[in-house]
Amino acid sequence: MKALITSENITKSFGLGAEKRNVLDGISVDIHQGEFVAVMGPSGSGKSTLLYALSGMDSVDSGKVSFDGADLSALKENELADLRRTQMGFVFQQPTLLRNLNILDNILLPSMRDGRNNGARLAEKAEMLMEKTGIAGLEMRDITQASGGQLQRVGICRALMGDPKIIFGDEPTGALNSTSANEIMRILAEIHREGVTILLVTHDVKVAAKTGRVLFILDGKIAGEYLPGVYDETRDNLKAREESLTNWLTTMKF
Amino acid sequence: MQMHSGELEIARLSAFAEQNEDVADFQVVEFLNIDGAQMSFAGGSLADSIQDNGLAVQGEKFDYLLDLDGNVITVSDGEIYVPIAYIQDGTFKVGDGIAIVGKAFTIAGPFRDSQMQPLLSSSKRFLVSANDFAALKQSGSVEYLIEFRLKDLSMLGAFETDYVSAGLPANGPTITYPLFRMLNAFSDGMLAALILLVSVLVTGIAFLCIRFTLLAKIEEDYREIGVMKAIGLRVSDIKKIYLTKYAAIAAAGSLLGYALSFAFRGMLLENIRLYMGESENSSIAMLLGVVSVLLVFLAIMAYVNGVLKHFQKISPAEAIRFGVSQEKSAGARHFRLDRIRLIGTNVFLGIKDVLARTKLYATMLAVLVISAFIIIVPQNLHNTISSKDFITYLGIGDSDIRIDIQQTDHIAEKAAEIAAAMSNDGDISKYAVLTTKMFRVRMDDGTEERIKVELGDHLVFPLTYSEGRAPSAENEIALSVTNANEMGKKVGDVISVIIAGQAQNLTVCGIYSDITNGGKTAKAVFSDDSADIMWSVVSGELAEPSLTDAKIMEYTDRFEYAKVSDIDEYIVQTFGSTIDSVGKASYAAIAVALTTAALVTLLFMRMLVARDRYSIAVMKAFGFTNSDISTQYIARSIFVLMIGVVLGTLLANTLGKALAGAAIASFGASAFEFTVNPWFAYLLAPLMMACVVLAATYFGTLDAGQIKISENIKE
Repeated sequence: MKALITSENITKSFGLGAEKRNVLDGISVDIHQGEFVAVMGPSGSGKSTLLYALSGMDSVDSGKVSFDGADLSALKENELADLRRTQMGFVFQQPTLLRNLNILDNILLPSMRDGRNNGARLAEKAEMLMEKTGIAGLEMRDITQASGGQLQRVGICRALMGDPKIIFGDEPTGALNSTSANEIMRILAEIHREGVTILLVTHDVKVAAKTGRVLFILDGKIAGEYLPGVYDETRDNLKAREESLTNWLTTMKF
Repeated sequence: MQMHSGELEIARLSAFAEQNEDVADFQVVEFLNIDGAQMSFAGGSLADSIQDNGLAVQGEKFDYLLDLDGNVITVSDGEIYVPIAYIQDGTFKVGDGIAIVGKAFTIAGPFRDSQMQPLLSSSKRFLVSANDFAALKQSGSVEYLIEFRLKDLSMLGAFETDYVSAGLPANGPTITYPLFRMLNAFSDGMLAALILLVSVLVTGIAFLCIRFTLLAKIEEDYREIGVMKAIGLRVSDIKKIYLTKYAAIAAAGSLLGYALSFAFRGMLLENIRLYMGESENSSIAMLLGVVSVLLVFLAIMAYVNGVLKHFQKISPAEAIRFGVSQEKSAGARHFRLDRIRLIGTNVFLGIKDVLARTKLYATMLAVLVISAFIIIVPQNLHNTISSKDFITYLGIGDSDIRIDIQQTDHIAEKAAEIAAAMSNDGDISKYAVLTTKMFRVRMDDGTEERIKVELGDHLVFPLTYSEGRAPSAENEIALSVTNANEMGKKVGDVISVIIAGQAQNLTVCGIYSDITNGGKTAKAVFSDDSADIMWSVVSGELAEPSLTDAKIMEYTDRFEYAKVSDIDEYIVQTFGSTIDSVGKASYAAIAVALTTAALVTLLFMRMLVARDRYSIAVMKAFGFTNSDISTQYIARSIFVLMIGVVLGTLLANTLGKALAGAAIASFGASAFEFTVNPWFAYLLAPLMMACVVLAATYFGTLDAGQIKISENIKE
C-alpha cells in the first residue's frame, strides 16, 4: 500500500534548559492509504503530539513529515490550512463545535469557506451525512440541545464534508459512555470501509482492538507495533482481540 | 444700565434713586464716543472696528475698571488702558502709543470691564484720566451710562417699570443683568458648555474602559476564579483581592491627575484669569480639588465593585472545566450559513458572532456611539455658529450691509435718503428700512411699560424665530425673548400698545432672541407718525457679495452721519474669537474621540482574541487561515462600527441638537437648528472612525495568528 503519511526521525520538545522534555524523540513511521491505525501509550507519552505533528497542525523541531508526497515543513501556513480543510478531517475528544452556530452550520463551516455559492448542495450533503450517522433532524438545534454522543457525530459529519483522505481522531470516544463510544467506532469503521484512512489516539483497549494496527508510544518513541489486522464484526471475536491486545500491552514495559 | 444720549438732569435721577427702595447705589458715567478713524496707532486705526469705541473715566462708586490683579485702576494723565479683547487679538500691545483725535497716549495695560467686555457687546470703553477726558470731551459725542445697583436682583422688573413710569432719560439701550449674562454666555459660555459636554462623554467612555479592562481580566483569570470559589473562598474574599489591586491603581491615577492639574492649571485657566480674574478662594479651590479627586476615586471603586459582581455568576465547575465563560448564544437563528451568497463565510461568521453575543459587543458599540457623538456635535455647533445664518438667532437679519442712523437729527429724512440711494443702486439687490420708536404698553394689571418697537418690513431680512413668525399684518407684533418673558406673553396673546394716543390690541405673532439694543425689543409693521424716532437701520443685500468692501466705503463717504457696517465683518469681530475657540475645541474633540475609539477597540479586540482562542483554534484546525480569522474580526468591527456611526450620527442630530439647543436656550436664544455639513457628518467623520477602528482591529487581532491549535483546541 502507498504511504499517505511518512515521518522521518521527527523530534519535538517542550520547555527550556533543565525543564526541556523531548515529547517526540526521533519517530519514523508510515501511515498507509486505507489503514485504520490506533496510537496508544501512557499519559504524556507523546500520542497527541504525534497526531498533531503528522497532521501538520503543529510543527516539529527536526525531522520531516510528508503528506501524500508533500513535505509539510515546506508548506506555508495558508497551504497547511488548505490541506487540513480539503484533504484531512479531524475528530477530537470534545466535539470542538462553535457555540454561536447551530448544528447544520457547524457541519457546513469548513466546506462553506470555499463554496458559498453551493450552500444548498452542501446542506444536502450534510443532511445525508447526518442521516448516515443517525443524527438526522437535529440540523437547526443549538449545540447545547444535543448529547455528547450526538455532538461527536456532528464532529464526524463535519470531518467528512470535505471528502478527506484521512481522518485524525484524538481520543474521539474519550468523553463518551460505552454505548456512544461503540456507536462512534461503528461509524468510523464504516467510513474506513469506504476507503478513508483513519489514525486515532486512544487509551481504550476496546477502541484500539477494532483497528487494524496499533502503535505504542513510550517516552516519545515508538516502543512497539501490534498488527491484529482489520476488524470484521461478522467474522472476528472482539473479546478475543481485546484480550490479545491487552496481553501485548502488558509486554510493553512502562 | 440705561444708556442715554441727549440732555441729562442728574438731579432728577439722584432724587429718583434716593426715593426708590430697591436702589443700593447709583451713578452716572460719561462715555465719550470717538470716531474709530480718530483713534490711530502704529498699525492703523480703529476705523474698521464695528464697535462703538469711546473714552471713559474710572467709576466713582461701582462698575470699576480693574487691572488683571483685580485692583481698581488709577490712571495718570497721558496713560490709557484698553479693553482686554484688543490686547488678546493683537490690536494693541502694552507700551504702544495711540493718538486719539491727535492727543498722544501710552497704553498702560488692559483692564477688565464688567459691562462691555464681551465682544458681542457693541461698545468698548478706553480708560483715561479725568483731565484727559475733559480735554477731549469736545471731540466726540457724549453718551451717559446711567447705572443702578439693586439690593435684590429679583426686583429688576419692578424697578424698570418704576424707571420708565418716572419718565426718566431713556434714549438708548437698557442693559440689564440677564443681557450681560447672555452676552458672556454666547462668547465664553458656549465654549465652556462644549468642553463640559465632551468631558462628561469622555468620562462615560472612561467608565466603559474600566468595565472592559475588568471583564478582560476576569476572562483571563476565569479558571483561577473558579478554583478560588471551588476551594471555598467567598465572593467577597475574591473581590477583595481585585479591589485592593484596583484601589492602588485608582489611587495612583487620581494622585497623578491631581498633580497634573497643578502643572496645567496655569495654561488651562489663563483665559479665565485674564477675563474673570483670580479666584478669591484659592485655598477652598485646593480643598475642592482634593474632594473632587476623592470623589473620582470613590466613584471608580464603587464602579469596580459593581463590575466585580460578575464573580457571583461564575460557576466553579464550568470555570475549572472550560476556563472561559460559556455565555449562551442568542439571536440571529434565521441567519444561516447555507443561505449566504453575497457576504462570504468569514463575514457571515463575524456578523453572526456580533448578533449572538450582543451583550459583549454592547460596550464597544456604546463607545463608538459616544465617539461619533463627540466628533459630530462640536463640529455641528462650530458649523452652526460659523454659518452666516447664525446671527439671525441673535436678533440680526442676514444682510450684507447694515447702516445705523442714530444720535443725530432728522433721522427719518436721512433714512429715506439712504433708502433712495439704495433703491437707485444697481448693485443692491434688496434693502429694508427699520425704524425704532418707543411706545407705551398697557399691562394686564393696568400699569404701563415702555417698549422699543422696530417698525418696517421684517420679511426682507428675517430673523430665526424661536416661536411663531415675523409680523406681516398691522395688528401683529413680535417680541424678543427677554420682553416676552418679562411681560409674560406667548404667541397668540394680545398686548395693548398705545399708538398715537389710542390703545390698540396687537397679537403676538412671534418670539425671537435678541442681543442687540439691550435685548428688549419688539417688531411690528404698523404705520405711525406720532412717536419720535430713536434710530433707524437700513439693511441691504448686494447682488455681488464681493463688492461689499467697495460699497461700504462708498456709503461711508456718502453718508457721513451714518455708521456703515459689513455684517460679515461684524460676525468676525464680535463672534470670531468664539467661532475660533469652538473650532479648536471641536478639532480637539475629534482627536479625543478618535484616540479613545482606537484605544478601546484595540483593548476590546485583544480581549476578544483571548476569549476566543478556543474558537480560533477550532477554525484553524478545520482549515481557516489567519487571514480568514482576521477578516472575521474586521467584519465584527465594521458591523459594530456601522451601527455605532449610524446611531451616533442620529443621536448627534437629535439628542445633540437638543442638548446644544438647551444650552443655548439657557443663554437666552431658544430656537436652534444645527447647520450640518453633510460631507463631514456623513462621510468624513464615519471614514475617520472606520480608519482608526479598522487599524485598531488589525493590530488588536495580530495575536490571533500566534494561537497554536494544539494548545488551545481542548476546552
